[in-house]
Amino acid sequence: MEPKAVSLEMREYIVEMGAETVNWCMQCGLCTNLCPWRLVPGETSESFNIRHMQRLGQMGMEGFEDEMVLFACSTCSMCQTNCPRGVKIVDNVRGMRASIVGGGMVPANLRPILGSAHANGNPWSGARENRTAWQEGLNIPQFGPDTEYFLFVCCHSCYDPRSTKVAKSIAKLLQHAGVSFGVIGAEESCCGESMRKLGDEELFQKLAQSNIELFNGKGVKKIITTSPHCLWTFKNEYPEMGGEWEVIHYTELLSQLLNEGKLAFPKDLGKNVAFHDPCYLGRHSGIYDAPRQLLGSIQGVEAVELGRHRELSLCCAGGGGRIWAEVPMGERFGELRVTDAIDRGASVLTTSCPYCLNMLTDACSSLEKQEVLEINELSEMLAAALP
Amino acid sequence: MDKKTGVYICTGCGIGDALDADALSNLATSEFKVASCKLSPILCSAEGLSLMRQDIDGAGIDTLVIAACSPRVMTDAFTFELDKVVERVNLREQVAWCHPAGDEDTQMLAEDQLRMGITKANEMQPLTPFEAEDMSKRILVVGGGLTGMTAAVEAAKAGYEAVLVEKAGELGGYLKDVLKLPPSRPPYEELQENTLATLAEAVAGNPKITVYTGAQVASIAGAPCLFDVQVQQNGSQVSERVGAIVMATGAVPYEAAKLAHLGYGTSPDVITASQLELMFKAANVTRPSNGQPVSSVAFILCAGSRDPEHLPYCSAACCVESLKQAKYFKEANPDTPVYIFYKDMRAHGHYELLYKQLQKDGVFFVRGKITGVEDDGSGSLVVAADDELTRSPMMSESVDLVVLANGMVSTSALGEPFKAQAPKEGEEEAEVPTDTILVSNILNLQYRQGPELPALKYGFPDSHFICFPYESRRTGIYPAGTVRAPMDYAAAVEDGTGAALKAIQCVEMVSQGKAVHPRAGDMSYPEFFMQRCTQCKRCTEECPFGAINEDEKANPIPNPTRCRRCGVCMGACPERIISFKNYSVAMIGNVIKSINVPDEYDEKPRLIVLACENDAYPALDMAGIRRLNYNAWMRIIPVRCLGSMNLVWIADALSKGIDGILLLGCKHGDDYQCHFIKGSELANIRMTKIQETLNRLRLESERVGLEQLSIADYSRLPEILDAFASKVEALGPNPYKGF
Repeated sequence: MEPKAVSLEMREYIVEMGAETVNWCMQCGLCTNLCPWRLVPGETSESFNIRHMQRLGQMGMEGFEDEMVLFACSTCSMCQTNCPRGVKIVDNVRGMRASIVGGGMVPANLRPILGSAHANGNPWSGARENRTAWQEGLNIPQFGPDTEYFLFVCCHSCYDPRSTKVAKSIAKLLQHAGVSFGVIGAEESCCGESMRKLGDEELFQKLAQSNIELFNGKGVKKIITTSPHCLWTFKNEYPEMGGEWEVIHYTELLSQLLNEGKLAFPKDLGKNVAFHDPCYLGRHSGIYDAPRQLLGSIQGVEAVELGRHRELSLCCAGGGGRIWAEVPMGERFGELRVTDAIDRGASVLTTSCPYCLNMLTDACSSLEKQEVLEINELSEMLAAALP
Repeated sequence: MDKKTGVYICTGCGIGDALDADALSNLATSEFKVASCKLSPILCSAEGLSLMRQDIDGAGIDTLVIAACSPRVMTDAFTFELDKVVERVNLREQVAWCHPAGDEDTQMLAEDQLRMGITKANEMQPLTPFEAEDMSKRILVVGGGLTGMTAAVEAAKAGYEAVLVEKAGELGGYLKDVLKLPPSRPPYEELQENTLATLAEAVAGNPKITVYTGAQVASIAGAPCLFDVQVQQNGSQVSERVGAIVMATGAVPYEAAKLAHLGYGTSPDVITASQLELMFKAANVTRPSNGQPVSSVAFILCAGSRDPEHLPYCSAACCVESLKQAKYFKEANPDTPVYIFYKDMRAHGHYELLYKQLQKDGVFFVRGKITGVEDDGSGSLVVAADDELTRSPMMSESVDLVVLANGMVSTSALGEPFKAQAPKEGEEEAEVPTDTILVSNILNLQYRQGPELPALKYGFPDSHFICFPYESRRTGIYPAGTVRAPMDYAAAVEDGTGAALKAIQCVEMVSQGKAVHPRAGDMSYPEFFMQRCTQCKRCTEECPFGAINEDEKANPIPNPTRCRRCGVCMGACPERIISFKNYSVAMIGNVIKSINVPDEYDEKPRLIVLACENDAYPALDMAGIRRLNYNAWMRIIPVRCLGSMNLVWIADALSKGIDGILLLGCKHGDDYQCHFIKGSELANIRMTKIQETLNRLRLESERVGLEQLSIADYSRLPEILDAFASKVEALGPNPYKGF
C-alpha cells in the first residue's frame, strides 16, 4: 500500500470550515461503537466509521470525501454527548462536509434539495406562496405588533401533506389555550439547519440572514417552533448572526399551559403509546420531560417507554440531511424503533418532530406494520383529546 | 526457672456451645497439672482480663495459655508484660466456627489444640529484645537527585538527621539539565518552572542534613541502626554511622547508539530527549547538521522501551516528557509542525489534560510502528509509520529534527552479576536458587551474599510490587525513585517521601529491639548454639535477606537487626542449633508429639497442617469466619514461614503415627507472594528430601503434601483439606501408630 501523506494545509482547511475540535480527538473509538449505524447491516454501516473519518480529518489525509462516508452521519449526537474528550463531533462532520461541498462537490441526490432551498426558501420544491396552504380555513392569525409569539412552522409541515396535520394540530392547541400567536407566511424561509449540516454554509448564511431580517423587521421577540431542528438552530446558531429571540418548542409551551390549567386533555383515547425522543429535542436540547408530561396527561393513555429512551434514544435517521437519503430496507434505524414499540406492546408510536414522524412512518410502512402500530405526532393526539 | 502456667478458656462467641469446656479444663489440670485453669464467658472483657491479672499478681502465673479466639485478633487485650509467656490456642475460628458443635471429633480437635498450646507455652521463654551499643537513627541517602533530596528533606522535617551522598559535584541529578516540568497543578495545561534550586537550597541550608558531593559510598558494613558507611570524597574516606538507607541513585537514559533503526547515528538531526532538553536549557535549539533553527520536529516515543529487543518495560515518564518538549516548541511558535509517534499515550491522571492541550495545540499524534526515519532528499527527515488508526502506512511531512524518547535504565542494572563463592571441592552443591545481584557499585555492602540489593527482572531492585513497595531484600535499605522503577518527577517525590518514612520506621523499631517488616514489632530473634555448628553454610546461603555473614572459618555471624525473623535459617540448619525463645525445632517437634493419636482400630486418622502465618493461617481463620466446614482430623500448627519448616518435624510426626502432613504456604516464583521471598520455594526444595525419609520409613510419598495459596483462596480450603484427608485415608493408617 502506498503511504498516505499527512497534510497540515488540508487539516487547517477542515478546521477552518468548522471542524474546530477535530484535533481534540484521541481516537478511543467510543463514537464508532455508540453510532446507530452499528445496529444495522449494509454497505454504509461497513464503510462509515466516525472515529476513522475524524482521524483522516485530523491528519489532513484523503479518503473522508467518499460520499458514503462523508454523508452517512445523521448528527444524532449519541457519540458527541458521550465523548470523553468533549469533541464536537457533529461540528466536525459539518466542517468536513463543508470542506467538500464548499468547493462545489455536492452529491447528485442533494442538488435538487439545496437548489430548492436556494430558489424557494424551502427544500421541498414547494412554491414560496404555498407555504401558507396548510392554514386554509383555520383562521390562523397573522403576526403583528401586539402578538406575543411568532409561530414558525417547519417547511416539512408546510408542504408535506401528512406533516401539515402537525401544523394544524399545534395551531388548534394554541388557539384553544388562548395563546397570543401569529404567523408571518410566505416570506419565511427554511431555518437552514439541515442545509448547514450538509455542509452548504453559504446557503445557510443566506437563509438565516433572510429570516433574521424578516423576524427582526416584524418585531419578533418570542418564537414557537414546531420542529426541534428549527428550535436548535434558532437557539444555537442564529444568535451570533444577529437573531436573538426567546425560542421555545411547542411541547415546552403546552406543558407550561397544562401546568397553568389552561389546557386539559379529558377525552379518553384508550391507547398504549410509546414516545420516541427526537435527537434535536432530547440530546441536542435537553428536553425530555415536557412531551412525556403532555402524553401522560391524556385521559386513558398508557405511556410505554421504548428500550432506548431519553439520553439513549435511538435516532430515526432523519437528521443531518439523511431525510433525503435513499436507504435500503433493513438498514433503516426507524425500523428498529417500530419493532421495539411493537415488542413493548405499544399501539401508537408518537414523537414531536416532523422528520421523526416522516422517518418512522416510512419505516412502519416498509415493515408493513401499519395495522399494528399507528405513527403520529404528539400534537395530533393532544388535539384529539381536547374537550 | 520453674514456670507457673495458667490456662484461660473463653466460652464466648459460640465456643461454649460447640465444646465441652469443662472437659478441656479437666485436661489442663489433670493431664498437664497446670497451676491454674479458669473459664470465662467473655475472656476479653474487663472481668475476663481481671481473672488473668489476679492469677499473675496473686498466684505468680508467668505463662498464660489463652484458649479463645485466633491469635490474629484481640492482640491488644491479650498482651502482658514482656516477662510473661503468652500462647494463644485458636478455639474459635479454627474449631468452634468450622466444625459441627457437640461432635466428638470437634471436641477431640479442641483438646489436641489445647495440648499443643500448653506444650508449646511450657517450652517458650520470655522475650528479651535485642540491644546493641551506639545504635544510630540517622538516615543515609545515596543519590542527590529529586528523590534523594526529597527523602533527606522529609527525614529532616520529621526530626531525623540525614547524610546525603551525591556522586556529582553538585546536587540535582537528572533535573539539573531540565528546563521546565510538566504540570502538577490545575489547570494542568501549562508547563511549570523547575523548582530544583529551591529544593537544593532547602537541603544545603538544613542543619540536620550532612551533604557529601563529588562523593561515593565506598562500603557499608553492619546492619540497621549499626551501619558503618565509608564515604569516599576527594581521595579521602569519612566514616558515618547510620540507622537506615534510602537508595535513590536514579536511572540513566537508554543507550541511543543501539537505536540505529530509528536513524540515530545515521543523521545528526536524530537526537535524544535529553539532548533536546539541554538545547532548550541553553536556549539554543538548532539542527545539529547545519546549525539552523528547528522549524518542525517529530518525537518518537518508546524508542527502545516496550521493545523486546531493547527495554521490554515501559519507561513510564517519556510520554509526558515528550508532551512537555512538544509544548516547548508550541510555546515558542504555535505554528511549528510537531509530530508525536507513539505506541500508547500513557499520560495518566491529570497529564491527560496536558495531552489534550497538546492535541488542541495541533500536534499530530500518530499511533503506530515506525517503519523508517529517512532523508527526504533535501536534507530534512521524513518519518514513516504504519498508522494503526487509519490502518494504513503513512508518512510525515518533512521535519528538521527527530527526537527519540529513549527510556530509562535503573542505575542498579548497570553491573555484572556477582558470583557467589564457588563451593569447595567435595562440598555439597547448594540447591538454593541464588539471587541476582549486580555489581553496580552503589552501596558496596559488606554482606556475605553480595555487595548490592538483589534484583528482579531487568535489574530493578526487588520491592514487592503488590504488598510492600520500597522494601528490598535487605532490611533497612529502601530503594526509591527511578532506581526502583521507572517513574516521573511527581512519582519520584512521593517515592522519596515514602522511603524516608520507611527508613524512619526502621530506625525506630530496630532501636527498640523490634522487627521491622513484615513481622513488625516482633521481639524474638534467632540465637545460634555455636558449639554444635558444622560450618555447613546453609543458613548463610539460604537466608533470603542476607542477614548472616560468615567469618573466615565459615562460622555464621548473625546480624539480628538485619533479620526478619522468618526462621528460614532454623528450617535450613541440619544441626538444629538455631532457635527463637518462642519458636524452635524442638518446641514444634514436641508440639507435634503432644497430639493424641488414637490407634488404628479407632479409624480416626490424624493429620497435621503446617500453615504459614502470613497467608495460609489467616485463610484458615477466614474459612472459620465464613463458617465453612472441613475435616476435623486436621491439627493446625502455625509456622512463621514454610521456609522455617525443619524436616525433622516430618519424621517426628510420621514416627508418632500421624497419618499425613499438609504444608500450606504462599505462592513462589517470579510473582511470589511469600512474605519472606523464597520461604515456600525452599520448603518445596526440602520436600524433595522428604522422599528419602519416607522411603526409609517405607511410607507412601502421598502422606506429605504441599499447597500454595493466598489469603483470598480461603473458600478453596475445605476442598483442599478434605481432598487431602480422603487421599490419606485411602492409604490406610500409618503403620507406626502405637509405637
